[in-house]
Amino acid sequence: MTSANTAHSVVEPSTGTRRLAGSIVVLYAIITMIPLVWIMLTAFKSPDDAISYPPKVTFKPSLEGFCNLFTTRSRQTPDFIRSLGPPQGLCDSIARSRNMVVAGPSNYAPRFVNSLIIAFGSTVLAVALGTLAAYGFSRFRVPLKGDLLFFILSTRMMPPIAVAIPIYLMYRTVGLSDTRLGMILLYTSVNVSLAVWLLKGFIDEIPREYEEAAMVDGYTRFQAFVKVVLPQATTGIAATAIFCLIFAWNEYAFAVLLTSGNAQTAPPFIPIIIGEGGQDWPAVAAGTTLFVVPIVVFTVLLRKHLLRGITFGAVRK
Amino acid sequence: MSLDANRSALRRSLADGLLRRGPLEAVATTIIAAGVVMLMQPFSLTLYSWSFATTLLGTVMFTIVSKVRE
Amino acid sequence: MNELSASSRIAYRAAMVRPGVARRIRGLSDRTLAWLFITPTIVLLLAINIFPLLWTIYLSFTNYRANRPNAPVIWLGADWYQSILTDPDVWAAMQVTAHFVIWTVVIETVIGFGLAFLIDKKFRGHGIWTTIILLPMMLSPAVVGNFWTFLYQPQIGLFNYVVAFFTGRDASSFQMLGDVKLSPWAIVIVDVWMWTPYVMLICLAGLRSIPDYIYEAAEVDRASKWRQFWSITLPMALPFIMLAVLFRGIENFKMFDMVNLLTGGGPGSTTEVASITLKRAAFESWRTGYSSAFAIILFVSVFGLANIYVKALNKVKSR
Repeated sequence: MTSANTAHSVVEPSTGTRRLAGSIVVLYAIITMIPLVWIMLTAFKSPDDAISYPPKVTFKPSLEGFCNLFTTRSRQTPDFIRSLGPPQGLCDSIARSRNMVVAGPSNYAPRFVNSLIIAFGSTVLAVALGTLAAYGFSRFRVPLKGDLLFFILSTRMMPPIAVAIPIYLMYRTVGLSDTRLGMILLYTSVNVSLAVWLLKGFIDEIPREYEEAAMVDGYTRFQAFVKVVLPQATTGIAATAIFCLIFAWNEYAFAVLLTSGNAQTAPPFIPIIIGEGGQDWPAVAAGTTLFVVPIVVFTVLLRKHLLRGITFGAVRK
Repeated sequence: MSLDANRSALRRSLADGLLRRGPLEAVATTIIAAGVVMLMQPFSLTLYSWSFATTLLGTVMFTIVSKVRE
Repeated sequence: MNELSASSRIAYRAAMVRPGVARRIRGLSDRTLAWLFITPTIVLLLAINIFPLLWTIYLSFTNYRANRPNAPVIWLGADWYQSILTDPDVWAAMQVTAHFVIWTVVIETVIGFGLAFLIDKKFRGHGIWTTIILLPMMLSPAVVGNFWTFLYQPQIGLFNYVVAFFTGRDASSFQMLGDVKLSPWAIVIVDVWMWTPYVMLICLAGLRSIPDYIYEAAEVDRASKWRQFWSITLPMALPFIMLAVLFRGIENFKMFDMVNLLTGGGPGSTTEVASITLKRAAFESWRTGYSSAFAIILFVSVFGLANIYVKALNKVKSR
């Protein structure tokens, strides 16, 4: 590997080239990570540290951001606070040190739960529908197959705002506005196109001989699908599911236009977290951090399938 | 006889050349691209006004052309 | 090996199949089954994508306003289309979009291809660093837009501090989001930060699809590295680059979430990209008919480009 003069390594880059390439890429990676790391650091800063100039790299970690994220507080006189009993929990004592008392939970937890329900609900639906349709397109002769597949893909290309106008009117008419069910259906319809395209690729790769052997053995086509194809496609289905999950988790345009309370997800909520006198940056950063961590984990899990996902299955490796 | 065969082959290839999917698709693609450029160019309001019609024409043409057999 | 275990499993399971159920499902021909499998997806897409689209087309010819659902609806013909396509303000929004699309795509392609070229040198640990570089594009554009407003704060933001540190200017002397000249670039910077990895990933696939023997042949012919780059690497990776350019172009043409959170179209209308104009017309002034017509104009452009994109996709697929 290190010797550059062996016969097969005519096209292999030299060690020097590799080192240079490596250091430039690493430098880029570090620079590109700074904003993200900065937000995660800010989540653990006190409000004063968060807005200090010059920006503080070392600071005393504080959970105030997370407390402010999950609670609402009201300002009280020191006398009133002294008249209360001992503080209940960490957040209460932080709030009291700022002459405030915890008034109740904030809306972040319900928004986060909405995000979870809507993301998982739409993913399950999209993957289920997508698997069936992908198998249909992969194995059967369907009239106008090419057109149908293009139609399915093109629905994902529509500008979200253009779709949001009639969806808004439609949901208002049938009573689906600001409901989780409405958002689940909407995200399913967006995700199903990706699911069909990706899963068709994965199912195409499973040899037909497997099902044919099963059918010779007395399975019906449907049984062969359930017992032979589905187990073989597990990896593909899992990768597709994570892609759908990430899309639904991250979606903002539909969420901000079509939900206001009940079914609002975290992305439209995080930007409107405000404290006294402007945005409460540690709380916003804490909300962002909690929201982003699952994505970081999923990205690492998905790294082998990323390319496939973002090219709608066109590029396999 | 061989001459005849040659001539009909020539005729067929001419027809293919004009009505084949490839070149027609390229024309449609160019029209769509032109429409989008017209929509966003900063030079002429007239071009901007006609951009939508151009893109629509290109898209319709592309859809029809993609039905022509390869 | 795999086949063997699969077929033995099948033989075992086949013995367990209940005859009644089997007969009933066997009654379904492949054709029926195909439709049973595909129909739910098509129905969902018809209900949530195509029906609304047709409704939008209808509304775009009327004076309907969503905040006055009971007012009489008047058929206006192509009036809205005419007024949008002759409106210098909308034209200006299209130019703002053009500035955003062109610069993001150019910068992302140059940096993305460069990074892919370097990563393709397969230095030690390139896998983990590639994964790290990919992170920004997996995040929510809304959350990204939101936290960049923090980085762009003139007094306290990290971005201003870093620029001040390297240029010696005062950190509060410029506002990335509040300045008419700077804000169009502020949104470009964030988009480049977020989406360069996307271009990089696709370019990397392109570079890896070039077989080694072509380079070996070039070495035998004593072609210089420079020459090899221009006559082998770039042309062979071009379909992939086109794919990335088209996709980023389409996505940024309809960009909404990130810009909405970063600037909301401001200051004035200097960063008002098409989707924000559309959102203002549709959900702030409630000119539903007008905004439907605008939506159709944008949609047709995107649809046209999507046709080209799918063509590029198939070209790459056949490689």
